[in-house]
Amino acid sequence: MNSRLVITGISIISPIGVNKAEFWRNLTNGVSGIKEITLFDVSKYKSKKAGEVSDFDAREFLGKKGIRHIDRTSLLVSSAAKLVMDDAGITHDVYSEEELGIVVGSTYGSIGSISSFDLEGLREGPTFVNPMDFPNTVLNAPASRASIFCKATGLNSTISTGVASGLDAIIYASDFLRLGRGKAVLSGGVHGLTADIFWGAYRSGILSGSRDNGIEISAPFDKRRNGFIIGEASALVVIERLEDAMERNANIYAEIKGYGCTFNPNKVSHDDLDTEQGVRCISLAMKDAGLNVEDISYISACANSSVTGDKMEAKIIKDYFGGHAEKVPVSAIKSMTGECLDASGALQCVAGVLAINNGIIPPTINYQEKDEECNLDCVPNNSRESEVKNVLVNSFSDTGNISSIIISKYS
Amino acid sequence: MDKRIVITGVGVISPIGCQKDVFWDALISGTSGVSEVKAFDTSAFKVHRGCEVKDFKYEDYISNGSGREVGKGSQFAIAAAKLAIEDSKIGLDNIDPERAGVSIGTTAGEIQILEKVNYLRYEKGEESVDPDLFLKHPCVNMPSNISIEFGFKGPSTIIPTACAAGNYAIGYACDLIKLGRADLMLAGGSDPFSKVAFVGFSRLNAIAPEICQPFDKNRKGLLVGEGAGMLVLESLEDALARNANIYAEILGYGLSCDGYHITIPHPEGDGVTSAMEKALKSAKIKPEDVQYVSAHGTGTFANDKAETISIKKVFGKHSKNLAISSIKSMIGHTMGAASAIEAIACALAIKESVVPPTINYETKDPECDLDFVPNVKREMQVDIAMNNAYAFGGNNSSLILKKFTG
Repeated sequence: MNSRLVITGISIISPIGVNKAEFWRNLTNGVSGIKEITLFDVSKYKSKKAGEVSDFDAREFLGKKGIRHIDRTSLLVSSAAKLVMDDAGITHDVYSEEELGIVVGSTYGSIGSISSFDLEGLREGPTFVNPMDFPNTVLNAPASRASIFCKATGLNSTISTGVASGLDAIIYASDFLRLGRGKAVLSGGVHGLTADIFWGAYRSGILSGSRDNGIEISAPFDKRRNGFIIGEASALVVIERLEDAMERNANIYAEIKGYGCTFNPNKVSHDDLDTEQGVRCISLAMKDAGLNVEDISYISACANSSVTGDKMEAKIIKDYFGGHAEKVPVSAIKSMTGECLDASGALQCVAGVLAINNGIIPPTINYQEKDEECNLDCVPNNSRESEVKNVLVNSFSDTGNISSIIISKYS
Repeated sequence: MDKRIVITGVGVISPIGCQKDVFWDALISGTSGVSEVKAFDTSAFKVHRGCEVKDFKYEDYISNGSGREVGKGSQFAIAAAKLAIEDSKIGLDNIDPERAGVSIGTTAGEIQILEKVNYLRYEKGEESVDPDLFLKHPCVNMPSNISIEFGFKGPSTIIPTACAAGNYAIGYACDLIKLGRADLMLAGGSDPFSKVAFVGFSRLNAIAPEICQPFDKNRKGLLVGEGAGMLVLESLEDALARNANIYAEILGYGLSCDGYHITIPHPEGDGVTSAMEKALKSAKIKPEDVQYVSAHGTGTFANDKAETISIKKVFGKHSKNLAISSIKSMIGHTMGAASAIEAIACALAIKESVVPPTINYETKDPECDLDFVPNVKREMQVDIAMNNAYAFGGNNSSLILKKFTG
């Protein structure tokens, strides 16, 4: 528990960039990655947009052979895993296969593969489905594929806590290292967009533009928000104990100072926002990090443009930070990437790491109309230069899972 | 970090019984849970048998529950958790909800819901599907439903590492208590009978036509099963303070990954060997300290052979002295629940000094030449047991349980 944990590598494959430089440039310039969907036909739906990774070719990262039967989610995370090893300068000369682990947050990305396997059985009869597609139906397939591509055999795990998956995977990896069970763990989240998830979310009315005749926009904290726009991404970090990172002279991006997880078993209703467990989660993370409210330079919000969720997060922040709340910049990068579900927490972490390293806070774009219930400094529309020492990253899932992590400048 | 973790309550929903005592009596009597599959029509398949939970009524467990509609995986898990909490005699009112959490493993989560959604989409069109139904499918519903049922506010997580998931979830629950992130964890695994798994394994010719015969020369495959196993885990300190019945101590665990092939185990059992070695190391014990191994033992040709090779590698000469059994011969392969139910079997073996048998064992396989406790239970003292579980994707796990002696 006394070991300090540091981030020594980052990788991003996102709607606004398939490498960290491009991602950061677009993120700080307020470029949106949300466009008309091309991966599948949405002509019969009112919602038509998503944050797609439009120029992703897995062959660039994984080679041409053996990837035909691997689904998009697995390809995205395997590619990100290759990238993050490079970024961290980790080869098998640095750490053996056995010293390396992978933990992936993934809940929704495999559902398309499970459904298409199941539907093929219904259409063709169960004895005619392609057995090559069966492995894609297990939820641990993305992490396992990545381990095969990267030869990381020390640990391989998958965490499926919905929108909190990406952050919870980073927390699981951190726990693992705190207990001295491995040397370096690649961890984060992935979500490959499929028609099934889009359809499921659309039908339940949680997508922007799916109800009434509202505009289709990702506008977190803005009064006009009416649901989220779905996105896809993979984001990974490499975590090591400080002493191991120093011994190999690694580039240290940031330190993982603390984290907390709680669960809200009470149904959240539109009018009655129960912030108790969200507040407790942040306070657990702050206590673990040994920080006070004024130490937080930036909050990378979970806010995704949903009516209740954004209001809830704003209230949690106000309840925890009290009078200091309005002084803390809080931005929602989902305004640019869309809600990348399992990947989102990890994506927010990577954005936080880059904010620390570049001294720039990314904006919340599409911000026009103030909502009194979300009256925070959401860094509207333009990025801001500022020294960033400690970043609070939140993942508040509507399944009740609540996680927060604090990433700090390494010194 | 130095906290010792103990099992103080167990709950099982299985194809051979849904109460601890019923389950245990059936297990040591060598009862088979196999029957013709009822969950769906198997006439289009070449195989027709599986291990389903019989006569399960959710209402029997949730008398005055929240009335929420939940999937079968959650129903099994909640029922097993309820039994485990009752068994621990802690009393729900005595649990601090902020310090209590859930860590569960699964292969397919609420797969029956997705199968229903797909059936409706295919037969009646997209519009016929109740929008709320789809949202009940993602596996995150499972731990959430359990946390909601018991009002727990601590960490709530799910680790879907397929057929090894139960062990992963139990291991992480121990870590959360060790790290001071929770005081009491409900840990285990759950899976309802999955048509997707049945289709997939049958296309891989991995399903046995009649019976499951782990380690037998003529073994013909696994049998898809269903069920749940949940354990109440606490620190030794807390358990002693409330004078709890302690089944066993969880001494350590080891995880590894083959990094070899998505469905085929490493032919030399490299990953599996590493998981067992790490488990022994984390438990700070020698191979000779182990008396009983609850094998993954699915009954497939490749698994049982590779597992035998690995056990021999890790235990050397001592491998001949080990009592090794696969309860999958009786309850089938309950997927993500398997290693959780097997961990409970280990705990009960330690407590009762009886090792369950591997049933349907007829012909010795020269490649699997160890003591698999054939067909009949064995009365013997078990101080230390190892629980093995492996999965698609090469996810390997071993858990070490020890008799609590103070």
